[in-house]
Amino acid sequence: MIKTIASRVWAFFKSFQLTIVLLALLMCLVVLCTLAQVEMGTQGAVNAYMRSFIVWRQPMLLYLPFPGGALVGLFLTLNLIAKTLDIKLSWTKAGMWLVHCGLVVLFAGEFVAGMLQVDTNMSIEVGQTVNFVQSYKNTELALIDVTDPTWDEVYSVPDTLLAKGGSIAIPGTPITLKVKRFFPNAELGNLAEGAPPSMATAGVGPGISVVEQPVVSADNEMNQASVFVEPVAGGHSYGIWLASVALGAPQSFIHEGHNYVLSMRLRRQYLPYAFTLKQFKHDVYPGTDIPKNFSSLVQITNPSRNESREVLIYMNQPLRYEGKTFYQASFGKNDTLSVLSVVENPGWLLPYVSCVLVALGLLAHFAIVLRRSLKRRQDKKEG
Amino acid sequence: MTFVNKYLAWGAGVLALLIALVFALPGGKARGFDVSGFGNLPILEGGRVKPLDSLARNSLLVIHSRQGFRYQGRTVGPDEWILDVLFRSQVADQQPIFVIDDPEVISLIGAQQKQNRNYFSFGDLGPHLDEIQKQASTAQPIAPQKRTRFQSAIVNLFDRVYLYYKLRNTLQLAGSPGLGWEINSIGTPDANLRHQDLIQLAQFRMLPPPAGGNPDAWQSVGQALSAANTGAPLHPGLVPLAKLNAAYLADDPASFNQALAEMDGVVSALKPGALAKASNELVFNRAQPFYVGLSIYFVAFIVLCISWIWKPELLRPTAYSLLCAGAIVHTLGLAARIILQGRPPVTNLYSSAVFVGWGAVILGLIIERMYRKGFGTAVAAAAGFASLIVAQNLGTEGDTMEMMRAVLDSNFWLATHVVTITIGYAGTFLAGSIAIAYTLRKHIATKVDVETDKALADMAYGIICFSLFFSFVGTVLGGIWADQSWGRFWGWDPKENGALLIVLWNAIILHARMAGYVRERGIMMMAIFGNIITACSWFGVNMLGVGLHSYGFMDQAFYALTIFIASQVVLMGICYAPPRFWVGKPHGKA
Repeated sequence: MIKTIASRVWAFFKSFQLTIVLLALLMCLVVLCTLAQVEMGTQGAVNAYMRSFIVWRQPMLLYLPFPGGALVGLFLTLNLIAKTLDIKLSWTKAGMWLVHCGLVVLFAGEFVAGMLQVDTNMSIEVGQTVNFVQSYKNTELALIDVTDPTWDEVYSVPDTLLAKGGSIAIPGTPITLKVKRFFPNAELGNLAEGAPPSMATAGVGPGISVVEQPVVSADNEMNQASVFVEPVAGGHSYGIWLASVALGAPQSFIHEGHNYVLSMRLRRQYLPYAFTLKQFKHDVYPGTDIPKNFSSLVQITNPSRNESREVLIYMNQPLRYEGKTFYQASFGKNDTLSVLSVVENPGWLLPYVSCVLVALGLLAHFAIVLRRSLKRRQDKKEG
Repeated sequence: MTFVNKYLAWGAGVLALLIALVFALPGGKARGFDVSGFGNLPILEGGRVKPLDSLARNSLLVIHSRQGFRYQGRTVGPDEWILDVLFRSQVADQQPIFVIDDPEVISLIGAQQKQNRNYFSFGDLGPHLDEIQKQASTAQPIAPQKRTRFQSAIVNLFDRVYLYYKLRNTLQLAGSPGLGWEINSIGTPDANLRHQDLIQLAQFRMLPPPAGGNPDAWQSVGQALSAANTGAPLHPGLVPLAKLNAAYLADDPASFNQALAEMDGVVSALKPGALAKASNELVFNRAQPFYVGLSIYFVAFIVLCISWIWKPELLRPTAYSLLCAGAIVHTLGLAARIILQGRPPVTNLYSSAVFVGWGAVILGLIIERMYRKGFGTAVAAAAGFASLIVAQNLGTEGDTMEMMRAVLDSNFWLATHVVTITIGYAGTFLAGSIAIAYTLRKHIATKVDVETDKALADMAYGIICFSLFFSFVGTVLGGIWADQSWGRFWGWDPKENGALLIVLWNAIILHARMAGYVRERGIMMMAIFGNIITACSWFGVNMLGVGLHSYGFMDQAFYALTIFIASQVVLMGICYAPPRFWVGKPHGKA
């Protein structure tokens, strides 16, 4: 009984039907993912279709479930492995065997990228020094102790934690933040006269109206995450503050001689090194505004490695440093601001390994086929 | 094959090449003026130095959809037209060159729709310019995908009118007495204002950089006048240009040609080599290799079709030799573009169409050498013709040798990734074309010919393997380029997805064949579907307007693509239908 089930499973996984069905499903997913990008943005569509096991509640699929990219990829990998093991280990199949091994590595690479790749960015103005990268979409509530003029102590609460609400004790400080209400996306405006009063009682909050908005995911849209929060320390409340990505000016309160700044901002990851933008260049073709090149001359300062050197980051020439890749992505503020995109993907080498395997496999296969056909011709001549 | 047949066949090919050569020869002088010499003068426009002739052709293509027009019983070529626009706007303004097809736009300018195409002159549009501008400026902020038909049409008309308006105010302000007068009035009170207008409106820069300056600092007439106004020495090119202007206005060909020689002297003194480079491009423009090539492919295809019913032993080799002639012209054109631009063959959508056609033709020639059944010729000629037609339509949007935007500025990756992926497109299309040939033959041919069917299936299979290889390698190379420049191998960007779809589809075909799920006809149907996939990933993704690869949106192309897809679906249906479908016999057994 068990044996028949096992052999059936084995037969299922090594069948050509499965290969074709999976490839066809993958094609459907690719088409859907591409079309969905118009509305959802690249990241949103990829997360919904490619990096999920089941595609749920997509209007394009009439809200019906559909196998997601991760599931199809997993089955395709299993199918590939089963098929590869099933191929008789004869030298005539060596080429195809290598090609399919290479494909397994390629899938693995995309899997690793899907699970572990982190996309962030770094905007630097000319002359400025920056030691953090920030997220494109995720936000955090930062509590910064600015008492020491030479050193900022930053404590941050990610938006995911804020969304859960409740009280959040900030370790290392006497302060507890009580989340009154969190808005993943909101529109801020001046509070009209006669309107119901704001929840906020301190800072700029009381003069501002907050209207909840649906969450957006398109590439060029930003969620204005906002939160009403009440810092409490030593049994004393410092009032309810409004913090929002849409608010520019910092707000601060003083507790026992420590000056704390509250600010809602894009989530940051601090680096053990810093970049200083020495120069940003935006070249155009003569007599036009067609961009020819963008380049950022960056000074890297890394005390842990006792390193300080200049690097030029330009088109098709990113900087790979400490596991991160920094590439020239955008610019602004009249060519004085440079935006570097930062990608961290521990599996970045896998596609290269796969390429080598596939290339070797194809070469081997061609050599084998050529040998066979030459031999056949020879036989014909002799026969 | 007899010797006579052989010589007749190759004679046809040589004749086609000779006709192609005739195109490249310089034309005569228009009314005694050396207009083509004027068109040979180098200018800076769109970031590169090119002959004025290129600008004239591309502008006329944008405005008029053709490179020439008939006016007062004569054919006016691009060089003569640009001369009128630059120096005699009163004449050029009367020439009906603006094509307007949209009935709402025509009624906006208060004209009746005529029977055929509707041509208007700048003079006709003159009284309605404010209205056109008003309507266009309300439509412009809307994203191109979301504009209505009228909005697209009015923006398109406005862009063309504005281009014309800029051209006629580049060398002198339209309606002013001319460049000589402008030089004489340097230092007078109003001069500075006019110079600023000229600088603002200049479409191109005609005066080479003065000796010792920045080698890219070409000057427009306005800039040179303005510099002279502030006390700098007069640019040496201004005087001969003024003489050209005066001679052309005075209808004095002799002085015009003399002033042209003077201008040539100034240009070669300031920018040695520019004149020679411009004249190479001028020859290329005049030869129109892709237009000539597509005509030869068309003739080859027709000859081959006739060969199936009449004198096959003569006409089949004739078609083959014509196809060779077309391929030679096509190859020379491609090579000329590579040399002129200093870039690998594929740099934009236009050149990808040219290259896809070239790849399909070369593959078709190889197949014909292997099988000698005429199918290789037929499919190659049809594919070459179709893709060059597509290219001609894509080439009406301006300079096809435009400069590469920053991220694409990498000859290494353009040469490897872009070329391999385009060869993959060409292969998939060729396999699809063979499948179409197979389909049509199955229904038209009177007798069943198993051997030919099998040969066609073998061809299609071989080419699908070929395309899978190239599209896979091309896609992976694209991933490596992306990793090198953006730090990620794969981002599910629409263009990447399009390439992936082709790889997946070819892989499905091969696996289905290997497993025995499909036979001859099934593979052919799948190959036709490959056409749809390739067309979508080639053009469709450009219509989505998202992603890192989208550098342009085309709306007319959307309808063309829809029609193409529909036609392929119909062909798949025909392919599925049994051969005796049309006779009306019960077709229970397929």
